[in-house]
Amino acid sequence: MFSIERLALIVDDSKTQCLVLSKLLEEENYTVIVANDGASGVQKYIKHKPDLVLMDINMPIMNGFEAARQIKNLSGTNDLAPLIFITSMNTDQAYIDSVDSGGDGILVRPFSPAVFKAKIKSIQRISNLYQQVKSLQQEQQQDAELAEKMMSEVIESRNYALDRVQVIKKPATIFSGDIQLTALCPNGDIHVLLGDFTGHGLRSSIGAIPVTETFRAMTKKGFSVIDIIAQLNKQLNQLLPADLFFAAGIVCISEHEKSAYIFNAGLPDGYLFNNKGKIKKQFESTHPPLGILPDLLPDAKVELINIDLSDHVVFISDGIIEARNEQGELFGVERFEHAATEGIAENNLVSNVEQYLATFCRGVPQEDDISLVAAPCNNWLKKVVSNRASIPEEIYQEEFNDKSIPAWSWQLKLSGKLLKNVNPIPMIMNQINDIEGAGEHWHSLYTILTELFVNSLDHGVLGLSSSLKQSAEGFSQFFHEKAHRLEKLDSGYVMISLKYFPFTGGGRMEINIKDSGKGFDIKQVMQKNQSKSMDSGALSGRGIELVKQLCDSLTFVEDGTSVIANFVWQINQ
Amino acid sequence: MTVKSTVKTEENKVIISVDDRFDFSLHQQFRDSYSEINNKGQEYILDLSNTKYMDSSALGMILLLKDHVEMNASTLTISNPSDTVSKILEIAQFHRLMTIK
Repeated sequence: MFSIERLALIVDDSKTQCLVLSKLLEEENYTVIVANDGASGVQKYIKHKPDLVLMDINMPIMNGFEAARQIKNLSGTNDLAPLIFITSMNTDQAYIDSVDSGGDGILVRPFSPAVFKAKIKSIQRISNLYQQVKSLQQEQQQDAELAEKMMSEVIESRNYALDRVQVIKKPATIFSGDIQLTALCPNGDIHVLLGDFTGHGLRSSIGAIPVTETFRAMTKKGFSVIDIIAQLNKQLNQLLPADLFFAAGIVCISEHEKSAYIFNAGLPDGYLFNNKGKIKKQFESTHPPLGILPDLLPDAKVELINIDLSDHVVFISDGIIEARNEQGELFGVERFEHAATEGIAENNLVSNVEQYLATFCRGVPQEDDISLVAAPCNNWLKKVVSNRASIPEEIYQEEFNDKSIPAWSWQLKLSGKLLKNVNPIPMIMNQINDIEGAGEHWHSLYTILTELFVNSLDHGVLGLSSSLKQSAEGFSQFFHEKAHRLEKLDSGYVMISLKYFPFTGGGRMEINIKDSGKGFDIKQVMQKNQSKSMDSGALSGRGIELVKQLCDSLTFVEDGTSVIANFVWQINQ
Repeated sequence: MTVKSTVKTEENKVIISVDDRFDFSLHQQFRDSYSEINNKGQEYILDLSNTKYMDSSALGMILLLKDHVEMNASTLTISNPSDTVSKILEIAQFHRLMTIK
């Protein structure tokens, strides 16, 4: 093994001393440069970038302490050229001052050549170690930056409506343990999630990818908030070590129902703000964070609230309220609420909260990831209602007049208690995706199926009256009553049948849903519904109105216990 | 030493207390405070009366302690948390997972 030649700088006003030390260093394979006062020592340090500095204390022009200070300032933390003071001042103060000015060691004269060489060796060993750590750290930093880039590619860039959901994301390290996700449901509702893994950094971000995948896939298939939460919990429980878990808040905003479904497992309170920034409601954590228990607690329940379309739903991670200033004070809930209220009223929530935080913390290093999501409650619907198609005239005649046999048909009958626990719509959508492949047009079909199924269940099997839904309070009461009746349900059924007729460039789905209910006076209800318009703000009848817009035809038969809908889709030329 | 554990053999009690800040920096200390105790049927008390602040990794550490306690057929009680610490335990709904008094 060959030894690398190293460069040493000796700063000493005594030429004899310089000569003696040079000699000894050359024996240790150093090349030596010499300066005779502090100021020229600093100059030579800049010019030659030595691997080692030996420094006298008492010198003309600039003393050793000052020179050491300047040299250490120059080298910063990038490079450690060890600096040793060589002195005959054997006092405590000399020791203290030499360390204060940035010296890495002190050697008090007189000393033997052997002691000198040993000192040089030991300090060189530390310096080598430092270099090693330094290069490992750089390597790790590069890897981490690459991994982070890929990860945020997978996670954030595929979020839905990035322009509409406002986000604060300030990781404490390169990796964030906080994630913000948004995704569009097949029926035009929107799911928003803010999650916080224990701790921060790489260790806490490994769960982010599976969470993201599950959240997106389940939302796309039409699963509800509670289904998604239950699955995330199970998955994280299996995946994460015992001390790692995931505090999460998730909201489903349904513009068409004017309601939101909210679940908070371990996050600070979530908020519903009106457009003036007033807090209308707070959602406290009702469940331990996800990943701790193998299954959700039996009483885990999603909270249903009424919303106005100008409202905002906001979730934050504890990093915001636990941010500290120099005095160790916490930013706290009150300051956050003040900043948020003011921000929403002025239409700059994100920048206002960030500004308040920055003013409060005044550059104190951040200990935890800081994040926030704010989702508006309006303007999500447009996309869904506009993609209705009807069968082109000529195709209709060519391909349908012979009452052709469906390409496939599918039927499911759910009865009794199963109606309480099973949501058949995601299953149906799965079947369709498996047979026909995925496509935008299935979003509308999802809405149609959901609305018709819920209609048959609520008004048919459960016999609930929609008149309850006339007022905002009644709306909650309706859901309360629904839950109550479902709990007791042990008879009745809903049967769903699908027949699919493909044609060139599109297809027709015939949907028949039949229930065991008493039915209704079709004529009367239809007339009543016609007199109400979609935009009148009425809380009931919206579902059927929406289905009518999406379908080519919608007919109630068998005294209202059975409904037949035809959904037609076509690839746009 | 900010994590202290006392074993009261005659009462079958293990008392672990954490001073000041309970966060990731105490990871090893906290684990060491109980990992050698393998007696069954102990009453573990995690005394948080002097804990001023706790972060989410501390919650994780408590879950590890809970695993240890359950493996040794023992019980765990969190005792006397301050207001700040109570708030954090409440957000995480830890009273659903263990006894807090």
